[in-house]
Amino acid sequence: MNGQTATAKINSAFLGYFPTWCPGCGNFGIWSSLKTAFNKLQLEPDKMAVIFGIGCSGNMNDFLWANSFHALHGRAIPTAVGVKIANHKLPVIVIAGDGDTYGEGGNHLLHAARGNHDITVIVHDNRVYGLTTGQVAPTASKGAKSKSTPQGLIEVPVNPLALALTQGATFVAQGFSQDLVHLTDLIMSGINHRGFSLINVFQPCVTFNPANGYAFYRERVYKLAGDYDRSNLRLALDKSLELEDKIPIGIVYKTERPVYTDFLNQLKEKALVEEDITNRDLNKFIAEFI
Amino acid sequence: MIDFTVKIGGEAGFGIMTTGLFLGKIATRSGYHAFEYSEYPSLIRGGHNVIEVRISDEEVHSQGQGVDLLLCLNKETADLHGHEVREGGVIVFDNEKTDESKLMKPDRNIHYVHIPFSRILRENSLPMVMLNNIALGVLMHLIGADMEILNTLIAETFARKGEEIITKNREAATLGMNEAKKNFKIDILHKLEKKSVISPKLYITGNEVIGLGAIRAGCQFYCAYPMTPSSAILHYLASKAEKAGIVVKHAEDEISVINMALGASWAGARSMVATSGGGFALMVEAVSLSGMTETPIVIVMGQRPGPATGMPTWTEQGDLHFVIRSGHGEFPKIVLAPGDVGEAYKLTVEAFNLADRYQTPVLIMADKYLQEGHQSVEKFEIQSRFDRDRIDRGKLLSQEELLKITSYKRYLITDDGISSRALPGMKQSLHQANSYEHGEDGHTTEDAGERVKQVDKRNRKEATYLSNDFRLPEVFGAKEPPLTVVSWGSMKGPILQAMKESGGSFNYVHFSRLWPLDFGKLKEFLGRFGKFLLIENNSTGQLGQLLTMATGIEFPQKLLKYSGRPVYPHEIMVKIKELL
Ligand SMILES: Cc1ncc(C[n+]2csc(CCOP(=O)(O)OP(=O)(O)O)c2C)c(N)n1
Ligand code: SF4
Repeated sequence: MNGQTATAKINSAFLGYFPTWCPGCGNFGIWSSLKTAFNKLQLEPDKMAVIFGIGCSGNMNDFLWANSFHALHGRAIPTAVGVKIANHKLPVIVIAGDGDTYGEGGNHLLHAARGNHDITVIVHDNRVYGLTTGQVAPTASKGAKSKSTPQGLIEVPVNPLALALTQGATFVAQGFSQDLVHLTDLIMSGINHRGFSLINVFQPCVTFNPANGYAFYRERVYKLAGDYDRSNLRLALDKSLELEDKIPIGIVYKTERPVYTDFLNQLKEKALVEEDITNRDLNKFIAEFI
Repeated sequence: MIDFTVKIGGEAGFGIMTTGLFLGKIATRSGYHAFEYSEYPSLIRGGHNVIEVRISDEEVHSQGQGVDLLLCLNKETADLHGHEVREGGVIVFDNEKTDESKLMKPDRNIHYVHIPFSRILRENSLPMVMLNNIALGVLMHLIGADMEILNTLIAETFARKGEEIITKNREAATLGMNEAKKNFKIDILHKLEKKSVISPKLYITGNEVIGLGAIRAGCQFYCAYPMTPSSAILHYLASKAEKAGIVVKHAEDEISVINMALGASWAGARSMVATSGGGFALMVEAVSLSGMTETPIVIVMGQRPGPATGMPTWTEQGDLHFVIRSGHGEFPKIVLAPGDVGEAYKLTVEAFNLADRYQTPVLIMADKYLQEGHQSVEKFEIQSRFDRDRIDRGKLLSQEELLKITSYKRYLITDDGISSRALPGMKQSLHQANSYEHGEDGHTTEDAGERVKQVDKRNRKEATYLSNDFRLPEVFGAKEPPLTVVSWGSMKGPILQAMKESGGSFNYVHFSRLWPLDFGKLKEFLGRFGKFLLIENNSTGQLGQLLTMATGIEFPQKLLKYSGRPVYPHEIMVKIKELL
């Protein structure tokens, strides 16, 4: 078998409808890398859970066929945390937008990172709200003009990597949707990582944000060197501050810390959903009320 | 017949609530019934707390009017509640805290008993935490209860702290007991003699009994953000989590709470959340998500007076319409409202079954009055139920059943509106739960035909509920009285108490299933009664409005209370006298 047919075959395992994204949208690259990563990891579509946010990014629910929950705008992370607690044996992946993750649901990101919930959060960073046709996202640059900021954005952008790093995320990475091979590796590492993983992916929105298109990122991104010490939090924080002229991609930080469910004795033997709940004995609970 | 009320007041932090709890348990362990009602401000220290325990040898459904024994641990108790003491009653005070000359009313037949609580603490170098033991000792004498029961309770409570602590607590109680004997000459107020035959009772709050129900129902994931009056469910379940096999999560906000619970439920865990109006407002978008994705969830909505932050530690039934109409879009939801702790247990277990059966949100409406007060209930009543309780997971597929289905469709169009559920992780379970409108396989759709089919399918669940699980309201009391009281939820207690005390001049139609309602059956049912009196703990008569909408029947006679306090039986009796 030559390489091409092999790819076509394995990718079909997760193939849903053909995407409705605008031609040239950065989402295609992420979609492709995800399918390749899932296949290489030999994930089975019915033995995993993908939680989608609401946005052009979240619309991937129909193009990527795996067990999935298309959640509310901003709420994919708590939904995923709930799934993971209920069945910690399932790989749980979040696909969401920058508006989803850093705006509407910003609070959830901080707390999921603190808890080191073992989920992989992939954020489509296009600096814009795509689905609602072009308002600024929290990642937009100061001064960015959009439908909601015709005079230019007053706020400075959020710093996703710094946020995740300072709140306790144990895997923080950045990718570029045009570099499929590199992104596939990042996604695989994120899923393989035991703990909370954030992968911020630059995803050009060719329709509503041409200013931050492919060329913009190509000129600025650079891969972290092979000898980069990804276990060093201070170094990672330094890297996270490189936001405009030179922008790092790769694994910015990775450390080991027990995950949330490790601390739950109830889950030592079985996943929560595997427990028999039909015959709990209340006698041992009522004595204290007599 | 024994039926008396003890009211204990003091500063928050004095252990007033523990004193009340012990007193209630002493009563139930002596073979009596007890009902507790507390009032406290939304402050942690310095505020004025009072707790009332009504003790009776017959079943007691609510607090009453008047106090037989007022124990004042601060000045405010004497000032604010002195006038509530009935003729022949007792006021216990500490003259270091209370102005004796002002307290004593020579024209009233009241026994004033001075107990120098502050001096006892000082002279015995006892810390403040011992105050409630001294107070209990005093009470034990005044109500003629068995000191052994108190000693046992102390031993049970401090079992883990060791013998020395137990002895210290008991000694403090004895000091109080002896002081009361010295200062209260006319023997005792009531004789709470231990009955020869005692049927064991639980003395339990609505919050605790909802927790018990959740454990029995197989709740696996409980998620919450603290909010009065529902916080104690979180505390109770958190303390039992490991023993019960439940994961309890205090999440960052109510939005996260309900979305986590829906994630867990989709993955197969029976899930429950609890909050109050403000927190529920934050959850509402996800109530709709539960309806759309057909993901079961049980939501406890503990009401308190609103709007906004309102009066956090007081009671009201102001959220009925909000809850019934919660969630954008049209989808079925089930709303239950228990009237007492027995019903709260039963309906909690049932809520989980209904949520699984109908794959839609089930709400349990309660309030501060029901959730935070202890009530005695026969142990047998709860126990006999939980022996019979069955877990019904509805159309949740087992792995074997799923394998027999050739092409599984999560949102398959069915006659009863309910489609089979597979869980992620099962072989051949491939599906998506979709917050967008979707076709049978879960894929997003905007097709007019598919849209209508899915809306109709979801709506059919309501019809299925109405034919399988709808129950007409329960009727209490005489068959054909001149007047029928209509109410819901926790007002059951004061209404039944009024019925008992007034010798049955009315009957009571109790709504504990508030939505969906079978309009036709209800109209026929209500048509059988004559004159109505609507009683609600809110200012607009929300149940009345709902019933008028459903049946056209109007409720011109109303007793509405919205001061943050529950309705009292005597208020009901006064109103009924007026009407008859
Ligand atoms: C509660 C709520 N508010 C607003 C919306 C409308 N809405 C849908 S997607 C979206 C923003 C999408 O931006 P982003 O998350 O960055 O995703 P993208 O479309 O760029 O992939 C908004 C505001 C919604 N669906 N829900
Ligand atoms: S609007 Fe932007 S993000 Fe959305 S599909 Fe088109 S290019 Fe992609």
